[in-house]
Amino acid sequence: MEQIKSLFYRPSAAAVVALLSVTVFYIFAGVEFGKLMGAASWVNYAARIGIVALPVCLLMVAGEIDISIGAMIPAGAMTTAIISGHFELSMIFGIIGALSVGVIVGVINGILAIRTNVPTLIITLATLVGMQGVVLAGSKLLTGSASVPLTAPDWAKTLFGQFMFGGSHQVIIIWWVVLAVVFWFFLHMSKYGNWIFAMGGDKESARNAGIPVNRMTVLLFVLTSTSATFVGMCHAILFNSAQVSGGMNDIFNIIVSVVVGGVLLTGGFGTVFGVFVGTLTFAVVNKGIDFTAIDRNWANLIIGAMLLIAVAMNESFRAFALRASVGKKGATPEPTPEKAT
Amino acid sequence: MSSSTQNAKAKVSFGRLIRLPETGSFIGFVVVYIFFAILGGAVFVGAPGWSSWLNIAAEVGIIALPVGLLMIAGEFDISVGSIVPASSMTVAMLSGHYDLPATVGILGGLAVGISIGFVNGLLVTRTTIPSLIVTIGVMFAVMGLTLGFAVLLKGSTSVSYVPHPTAKFLLGQFINYMFSVAIFWWLAFVAFFFYILHISPLGNWIFAVGGDRESARNAGIPTSKVTIGLFMASGFCAAFVGVAQVMTYQQAQVAGGQSFIFNSIMCVVIGGVLLTGGAGSIIGILLGTMTFAVVNQGVFFAALDPNTGSIIVGALLLIAVVSNDSFRKFAISAASKKT
Repeated sequence: MEQIKSLFYRPSAAAVVALLSVTVFYIFAGVEFGKLMGAASWVNYAARIGIVALPVCLLMVAGEIDISIGAMIPAGAMTTAIISGHFELSMIFGIIGALSVGVIVGVINGILAIRTNVPTLIITLATLVGMQGVVLAGSKLLTGSASVPLTAPDWAKTLFGQFMFGGSHQVIIIWWVVLAVVFWFFLHMSKYGNWIFAMGGDKESARNAGIPVNRMTVLLFVLTSTSATFVGMCHAILFNSAQVSGGMNDIFNIIVSVVVGGVLLTGGFGTVFGVFVGTLTFAVVNKGIDFTAIDRNWANLIIGAMLLIAVAMNESFRAFALRASVGKKGATPEPTPEKAT
Repeated sequence: MSSSTQNAKAKVSFGRLIRLPETGSFIGFVVVYIFFAILGGAVFVGAPGWSSWLNIAAEVGIIALPVGLLMIAGEFDISVGSIVPASSMTVAMLSGHYDLPATVGILGGLAVGISIGFVNGLLVTRTTIPSLIVTIGVMFAVMGLTLGFAVLLKGSTSVSYVPHPTAKFLLGQFINYMFSVAIFWWLAFVAFFFYILHISPLGNWIFAVGGDRESARNAGIPTSKVTIGLFMASGFCAAFVGVAQVMTYQQAQVAGGQSFIFNSIMCVVIGGVLLTGGAGSIIGILLGTMTFAVVNQGVFFAALDPNTGSIIVGALLLIAVVSNDSFRKFAISAASKKT
């Protein structure tokens, strides 16, 4: 009993409950469970937003936010397509180009974040708008159109843009799972993870404790925008073309996934496993509705309700866990970030 | 609680003037306007230019005002993006599809906005969930409801409505075929919110809530009521824009309000409102909205690629936040030296 109870104290408990309830809800709404499990649409979608949600999770744990990702996904796709498609350079340059665009914008975000007192929501809002303009105007200027075709060589297709198992699962899913393990190790097993939690808890104390707060902040922003351009690049390679539009909805979708996964917007609390489950939940809600008898038009209503319920659950589970730990040890009522997942 | 406008009684000196929070926004507006006046030529400086950017400014400006107040109080409202289409859909449904009088439609549309704002406020004050997350959730839910009901009741995602001439005249007319009547509504809203924030005691409450919620509550300010009221104001204003849109375009679409979310925040930030709450002014928000609209429309008159507009807006935002940041430090250091 104690053990079952302690499961609910985990930060990701609410996310797991959310995923289960959404699945059960859909099964009652007429989904065949087997059919849903076999379908690729929601897994592909989960991978697309999940790869970006992982570094965003780290950022949020550190107390920052990045909404420029909405411009960086199309930016990555366009850079790849312009370099390797329009200018017909080798694919490798396209990949390097896309990733370096991510690094550059991440460094800009990071430097602005550490040099000014401006909240990162506003800084990245500025880079979001700015990059949208740069990508659109740039592609018009260089190629004369807003959509650029790209023919990727076989090795790039295999690595980034293949369908697996002869079906419609994209290879990007494997990237997502691998990256999730890497990020899990980074946040929960390495010392850097402790640093990130400390930064989100109290930046000033973290700095006084000798943590290189500035360098870590820049690194996290670089990770985030590079992951976004990586997703864009994979999509350009998969679909043989890149469009400038798209990506704006991803901002909210990614934030929702991370928050449903139990990460506190105010920092200092969250797990990679929770975010992984949160992303799955979001993808099931968003794409699973096609398998139900419910009209697709209500999907957003379900997403909104799920977000509010999941967040409310997160809050009460956390309060519950904190009370329990206080009762047991008489310890501090501070939200101590749980390490294990 | 740094409402420097409160010090207006004191002697106006150059040093004081340059430290006013609005000065930066004003300089920004002048620079941007001159830039586009040179590139856009006589057409941009004349009535066509003014009408084009004022029409844009009025729409986003009406929403930016309460969003700015919310940001001064330390909260966000993302849901405005879904309230605009929700309210215009309600008007078109009630008065267009069901042929009810225009007043019923308009009241219905505004009521939708106010109630969504009330829900936002209630959720924000009753739970510990940050308003950014609450309003994202509400935005999704309202988007779903709008689309779902439109398809359920009407069977399509757009509803047309030929408004009553009086309603059209009041809310959706173009004066001289150029200036939208919304501009006057915008100015009325500016006056109203100026009174609220800078003259009435409510304004001090809003600054206090944004500065330190806990101390504000201890000082006897009904912080929850203030917050709920502000969310209802932003719901109302977003709904008002939705009503004005359906009167102007004679049609309501389920989508299309998304751009208001970030645009209104950008106007507010260019206008010098600190995101951290506790500082800002209505004149600043007004100037920020005007700057945004001039850039937005100026690129067309200047025959630039329209996309360069968003590069300029992004750059402006950065300049605005960075200069506000250093401005504030400068102003605070000057003030603390004196006292």
